[in-house]
Amino acid sequence: MRRVFKGRAVLAGNIEGRALVTQMGFNTYASFFTSMYAGEETATCSDKSNPQLYGKNLTDKIICLPNTVGSTSSGATWPNVAQLGIAPKAMLFSQQIDSLAAGGLVVTDVWTGNRIYAVDQLGDEFLEAVKDGDGIVIREDGTVTVE
Amino acid sequence: MDDFENLQIKLTEDERQILQGKQGATLQRVMETVVLYGEALEAERLADIEGDGHFVISWPTPGIAPSLELLEELVEASLKTKYPFTLDPKSPLDFENLCLRPDQEQLITRLHKDHARYEALLMQLGLRDKDAYTCNPYLPEVGNIPERGTVLAWSESACAIYANSVLGARTNRNGAIMDLLSNIVGKTPHAGLVTDQGRQASWLVEVKTSKLPNPQILGAAIGLKVIADVPFIVGLNRFMGSEINAAAGDFLQEMGAACATYGAVGLYHVENLTPEAVDFGKDLLVTDCKSYVIDDLELQGLMASYPVMWENKSANPEKCFIGCPHLSLQQLYWWTHAIHSALQTRGQRQIAVTTILCAAPTVLQKYKSDRQAYERLTQAEVHLSTACPETLFENDVSAGEAIVTNSNKLRAYTPARFFPDEELVEIIISGKIKGES
Repeated sequence: MRRVFKGRAVLAGNIEGRALVTQMGFNTYASFFTSMYAGEETATCSDKSNPQLYGKNLTDKIICLPNTVGSTSSGATWPNVAQLGIAPKAMLFSQQIDSLAAGGLVVTDVWTGNRIYAVDQLGDEFLEAVKDGDGIVIREDGTVTVE
Repeated sequence: MDDFENLQIKLTEDERQILQGKQGATLQRVMETVVLYGEALEAERLADIEGDGHFVISWPTPGIAPSLELLEELVEASLKTKYPFTLDPKSPLDFENLCLRPDQEQLITRLHKDHARYEALLMQLGLRDKDAYTCNPYLPEVGNIPERGTVLAWSESACAIYANSVLGARTNRNGAIMDLLSNIVGKTPHAGLVTDQGRQASWLVEVKTSKLPNPQILGAAIGLKVIADVPFIVGLNRFMGSEINAAAGDFLQEMGAACATYGAVGLYHVENLTPEAVDFGKDLLVTDCKSYVIDDLELQGLMASYPVMWENKSANPEKCFIGCPHLSLQQLYWWTHAIHSALQTRGQRQIAVTTILCAAPTVLQKYKSDRQAYERLTQAEVHLSTACPETLFENDVSAGEAIVTNSNKLRAYTPARFFPDEELVEIIISGKIKGES
């Protein structure tokens, strides 16, 4: 069933992709830890504390999450994975974006020219509705359609 | 950023001029980054940074560090932080203490090949001194101790949470790179933990354990439950009293590091102990706060849920890292005494598992000046290092090794197995894990 959610466009754009969902906080540094150093063409989630994502491919996905957690090193993780070409396409936050994700994604945008799109404040209902593999359409006004 | 008028954040005239490039293109870009960060956090304005920094960007490997190009651009523009800063532990190049194989040393050397250039750039950007490398910067031997109420822009999750909670300073959990850029422009978003409202607690955490719990397990439990919220913790001062002495400081440091690793906690209050909790008590709690009760079973269940991530799950431990975050002086003495006593009890001279204790350069200097204690450790074949154990797992440097630790933070990011301190003493003395061999 097609459902539409309205959030706040933090890093705006019009894109489409496939959802990858975690109900737990997304630990950025732990999730990319292995792939960042392995020279792989795609990032496989290496956060063993997150059974919903561990072992799954993160690259080009639209990650649907409550927020990010973990090390402040993740500020440098975002521009690094963007420049390696293994970043997710977008991050959709059910809550207000946290300071680590906000800082990392803004630095990536301003200093590398690679935009990882971000919409926040989509609400708990969004995270309850969206499932792995769902088609997602993001509009620059922060509208997110789950198909 | 062309359209300054559409910003929600209110900027001063000076900030606008920087944003318009009137103090150079590089500072303009730095300000643009900090302003967009403030917009993302829905800050009403930027706040002036009022004290020394502490940053996570201490070694030059990708994924942790700003690129050399970025640092060079900042230096070429003659930019520097408003106040000096300390950094997390430096590159793990003290090979005489790290007990690595030659191939591991070669790999680390390659990963950290830009170390000298990186350090030189950071000195130019405001690094306090050549020994200012630790993830425990507020120890007296290091001396980066912000006063209560000081607005900061710190990173290193373990340090930001300590500065906020135990010292009463005010910093958001800033990420790598944003930490440096904020301190260069001297501004940080007036949002979140910098504000009074952001420091209110939305969780009442009741500790009902039968004894003082392991701080790193307790912190993980709290972090997993409250995620990014602020907890108000009651029940701890049954065991800890109402004074933040050295032992309490160590406990709170370890608990906070785990809170920040397993969640995104940037501030906690402990009833009758941490400064804002002492002053305001339960008035810090919002009216519709959630609650979480932690008892012995809760913590035992969490420990039991940790999977063994070693390649050979039945291996005997090969190496042990202690000091993530870096050990304090009193913790070094605790380990010295515990290891020495256990060896004496067993009639052994040396430990069975290669063990490395990690601490700040200035803490190790002071410790080593106590010849008796230092010789006890060296005679037991224990090693001391200024490194960060986590760096020894980057790029699979330690792949396949059966490593044990007392750090729940290290466990979160690597295949190392976690054990509480007392169990770990037995493991490193005997070389075996009780009940598994």
